[in-house]
Amino acid sequence: MIRGIKALDRVLRGEATRLPSLKSGDLDIPAGSLCVVLVILGMVTGACTGVFAVITRYHDDPGQAIMGWEQLLASTLKVPMLFCFTLAVTFPSLYVFNALVGSRLNVRAMFRLVIAALCVMMAVLASLGPIIAFFAASTTSYPFMKLLNVVAYAIGGSLGLSFLLQTLHRLSAAQFEEELAASRAAETPPPPPDVSQQYPEGPPPYPAAQPGPLQRHKAPHFDPRVKVIFRIWVIVFGLVGAQMSWVLRPFIGDPHKPFTFLRDRESHFFEAVLDAVKRLF
Amino acid sequence: MTALLTHADRLLRPTTRLTLSGRTLVAMVVLFGAFYGALMGLYFDPGESPRWLQSVYSATKVPMLLLVTFALALPSFYVLNTLLGLAGDFREVLRALVATQAGLTVVLASLAPFTMLFYASTTDYNSAILFNALMFATASLAGQQLLKRFYAPLIARDARHRKMVRVWIVVYAFVGIQMGWVLRPFIGDPAKPTAYFREGAWGNAYIEVWDKVLTTTGLGTPRR
Repeated sequence: MIRGIKALDRVLRGEATRLPSLKSGDLDIPAGSLCVVLVILGMVTGACTGVFAVITRYHDDPGQAIMGWEQLLASTLKVPMLFCFTLAVTFPSLYVFNALVGSRLNVRAMFRLVIAALCVMMAVLASLGPIIAFFAASTTSYPFMKLLNVVAYAIGGSLGLSFLLQTLHRLSAAQFEEELAASRAAETPPPPPDVSQQYPEGPPPYPAAQPGPLQRHKAPHFDPRVKVIFRIWVIVFGLVGAQMSWVLRPFIGDPHKPFTFLRDRESHFFEAVLDAVKRLF
Repeated sequence: MTALLTHADRLLRPTTRLTLSGRTLVAMVVLFGAFYGALMGLYFDPGESPRWLQSVYSATKVPMLLLVTFALALPSFYVLNTLLGLAGDFREVLRALVATQAGLTVVLASLAPFTMLFYASTTDYNSAILFNALMFATASLAGQQLLKRFYAPLIARDARHRKMVRVWIVVYAFVGIQMGWVLRPFIGDPAKPTAYFREGAWGNAYIEVWDKVLTTTGLGTPRR
């Protein structure tokens, strides 16, 4: 648990994805402990989303309040489920297509990469949780809450997926540099770096700015096919995640419908979002 | 008292570096905010007796508005800063943000005499609300200037802070507006008894504003 939180911190700070630590072509993070943290973050997010149901049920009819708590519990369980299922649906094809285009990432490295990206996503979402819970506690408008959640998940999702793409860039850049260094080392040993020249007027007053994990890294030797695969995968992940959230609904809980763990099959995510926008305005 | 005013003076001057401790800054938010809140709550209709209780309520609510909004917006701001690789500067970022809040309340407190004059010259509840909104808007504008100043050394060190300061303003305003709505009433409504929170639905500030826009422009009717 502590190990997982430490690893999460390293991922968020970008320490796990700096060039030197990527030379082996793998991320040095404990995927198992991170998964535990991932589930906990998901539960926090789910609980924050479920607050709305508790508040509205108390507000409308205190006799029905138990349904609100049921919804809160269900949302707490369902958000981690949402992410696991989305990953389960999209990961196999990612791996297969990557292997097809000859990516150097093995399955373990790819899994770690995706888990790290999901961690970023869930950390952002969980940190937005207090804001969501606050609006849930003070708002009676169901469409507003739906849209607020969609926006929060979109922010989390886009940050997580841009983390994925940037890390992928760095992975290939690190490997390229490693190969380059190996071929050079065969010819001449590299000269020691000249520190005095780097800082002519003494060392800098502050440590030099460290790149964040979302910083773009220029990698001229990136295999364009791998890039295309991951770009497509990012879009697919977003679409599948959105629809998965629809299949697993309700997360927020319509105050005028009785509590059910899952709703009947009907419609799709995007129609529902459009409908919420129409109802709000 | 004198120490507090000296601190306020040091906070507002552009030349001196930010030397106040975090605890002093939070104390300033509480004290200056309570000062403005107490005066803000003094409004009463000509026909009724002064609302002293409302004044006490509002004195607790103004600091609460600022500090709770701050606490709600902080976790996501920390995660975003970390993701951009700015976690090392976060201690300073935090000080800059708290100092901005303190500066905002100092400005707000300095505007209180205007509010008092306005209360002394109006009998209309709605214009009293509007005037206070104007004072808060003025103080927030000054707050933004302060934020820019406190952030200047950070931005000079790393341009990414410029982006983050914008994010902070957006998130803080988004939460703060709703918080202001939830913590109503700050000014006692002559038609209603004095209360800490308004009876009935809390509601959503953004939806209320949208409904007002719809009804006043005649473009449609509210859906609910």
